[in-house]
Amino acid sequence: METGDELRAQIATLVRRYHDARFGDTPFVPGKDLVHYAGRVFDADELCRLVDASLDFYLTANRYADHFEAEFAEYLGLSHAILVNSGSSANLVALTALTSPKLGARRLKPGDEVVTVAAGFPTTVAPILQNNLVPVFVDVRLGDYTADPERLRDAIGPKTRAIMMAHTLGVPFDLDVVSQLAEAHHLWVVEDNCDALGSRYRGRLTGSFGHLATSSFYPAHHITMGEGGAVVTNDDLLARIARSVRDWGRDCYCSGGENNTCGTRFGQQCGTLPRGFDHKYVYSHLGYNLKVTDMQAAIGCAQLQKLDTFVSHRKANFARLMEILQPYADRLLLPTATAHSDPSWFGFVITVRDQAGFTRDDLVKYLEAHRIETRSLFAGNLLRHPAFQDVPRRVVGPLTNSDIVTNQTFFIGVYPGLDTPRLDYIEDVFARFMRGERQPAPSLISVARGR
Amino acid sequence: MTQKLACLVEHIADHGERVYTVGLRPARRAPRFRAGQFLHLTLDPYNAGGFWPDSRVFSIASSPSRPDRLSISYSVRGRYTARMEHELSVGREVWVKMPYGDFVIAKDRPVVLFAGGTGISAFTAFLEDLPSADPQPVTLVYGARRTSLLVYRETVERCQTRAGALATHYFAEDASSWEAGSSDVHPGRVSAAAVWAQLPQPCATAFYISGPPAMLQTVSDDLRAHGVTREAIHIDAWE
Repeated sequence: METGDELRAQIATLVRRYHDARFGDTPFVPGKDLVHYAGRVFDADELCRLVDASLDFYLTANRYADHFEAEFAEYLGLSHAILVNSGSSANLVALTALTSPKLGARRLKPGDEVVTVAAGFPTTVAPILQNNLVPVFVDVRLGDYTADPERLRDAIGPKTRAIMMAHTLGVPFDLDVVSQLAEAHHLWVVEDNCDALGSRYRGRLTGSFGHLATSSFYPAHHITMGEGGAVVTNDDLLARIARSVRDWGRDCYCSGGENNTCGTRFGQQCGTLPRGFDHKYVYSHLGYNLKVTDMQAAIGCAQLQKLDTFVSHRKANFARLMEILQPYADRLLLPTATAHSDPSWFGFVITVRDQAGFTRDDLVKYLEAHRIETRSLFAGNLLRHPAFQDVPRRVVGPLTNSDIVTNQTFFIGVYPGLDTPRLDYIEDVFARFMRGERQPAPSLISVARGR
Repeated sequence: MTQKLACLVEHIADHGERVYTVGLRPARRAPRFRAGQFLHLTLDPYNAGGFWPDSRVFSIASSPSRPDRLSISYSVRGRYTARMEHELSVGREVWVKMPYGDFVIAKDRPVVLFAGGTGISAFTAFLEDLPSADPQPVTLVYGARRTSLLVYRETVERCQTRAGALATHYFAEDASSWEAGSSDVHPGRVSAAAVWAQLPQPCATAFYISGPPAMLQTVSDDLRAHGVTREAIHIDAWE
């Protein structure tokens, strides 16, 4: 009879064959196949590891999660990575960690202010409100869509205790100014690095500057595990707190299926509990359960090995799109990097200029009709959304650009799944629109095929 | 960031009276850890996709600056350590998971380290990593049943030569062992009272205690009796 290891090897061979049969290359059909703005890019390795983890049937986080956390922290040059089930969860865990009583006088308390931007993704801001803190909104700059540094300086008030912002679509915000403000005013910094894995500022990877940073591994992101995210830090105490917040708020740090890792499970005095109360069920935070499974982590392990290649592809695709769209710069505001930054682009952001002669909606509808996916720059001005209209907040200066983002901005993809035929097709469709075409041309498919 | 590592037993030092030091070579670089942290060691086979077997915790005695080598010290106290004594041999594979714990010594104030027996292994990495020009006053109070069981004494003396701010006080319980020419080893057990008068700034000092349970209690009570706050006392406690 075959051993488990032998059967596992046979299954792996079959999985590779399955991958080739099910996911092998198919030619791109312009106008018929969707040109995605993002998506999972994978090969047989991801499938093999996923199946391998499933055969362990450990289910909860185990060897692949341990491996991913170690490798991911190493990639960023940090001591700790804590896997969670999404980038949004990572933001929630990171900011909630800063409210921990274990931080003493430095903890964030209800009513403390957290500086952020008005134009972005809602779950960068939601954790501020979920923790009864007050967001202080500043406007973004057009072009790089990150916080205006002057507004950031103006935003710091007597109650300001933290800055939490995203590196918008891969573009690092001004980390010089943020670091200076943090030092001068003793502020916590949380980098929402969900859209910027692989971006650099002054040569150093984003996600390694803040006290805490977050990543997302949703399929649209630089690497994926389906649903997934991570909190990273160099601070041992913050790491311990973040794990607690992720794991029901418990004081114990045993992984799933483990007991008495601390060696003092029945020997501690916690709160007003009886001495020796089972430490596995002692809670030091109001926490959640935001863990991943080992199957998700297994996919992440394979993806992490491809990260450098993915980042290179994203940069190359961005450069090609810049080349394609540069001739239309009089009508389209094209994306720019912030000073000292080398973005690992999430998308190619375009703002339709006032005098373009067409609207953002005209262009987006045309692209979508031609099977080129577009996305808004997420929520645009968050304060115009029902959920945020009446929340406690402070707004510093006008949010003019955030409103422009709401009305005139969108992005298309740069993800590694975009190959030369797809980029050629994008070039062709933009050219037709800019020449004045406003309806899908029946001949488009055959024209593009002939390239 | 904890990891599970296969390790080969590279050497075993038998100090006598069932006290051992075990050197381990991890199959891959050990994860970053801090002096004072501990590992779990299991003698049983571990399938990386399965559950972690029965294991015991040991302070990591080796320096974090050498992630290619790990060492622990143990004395035979129960069934598991008796198994270790019986089963560990050079060349054998064991699994460890590490690092854990927050018994990490402050570097911004004077510290006094009370070590009993193999409890010294919670401090050795810290002592080995003391910078030569470090002005931090460090006092080590180190005791064992016999002088011969002060197994890290040579290591401590080497650290002392390098780091001038390290003061040491040795104790041995067995009078016959110290009378035989160990003039710097005092008779008796580790206690706060024995060194209290020689501490430079007891009020500003952090105290760390690692050793057998009875010693932890005695020294802790002793410190409290001398007016040391509960917050200033750090105990490396095990069940």
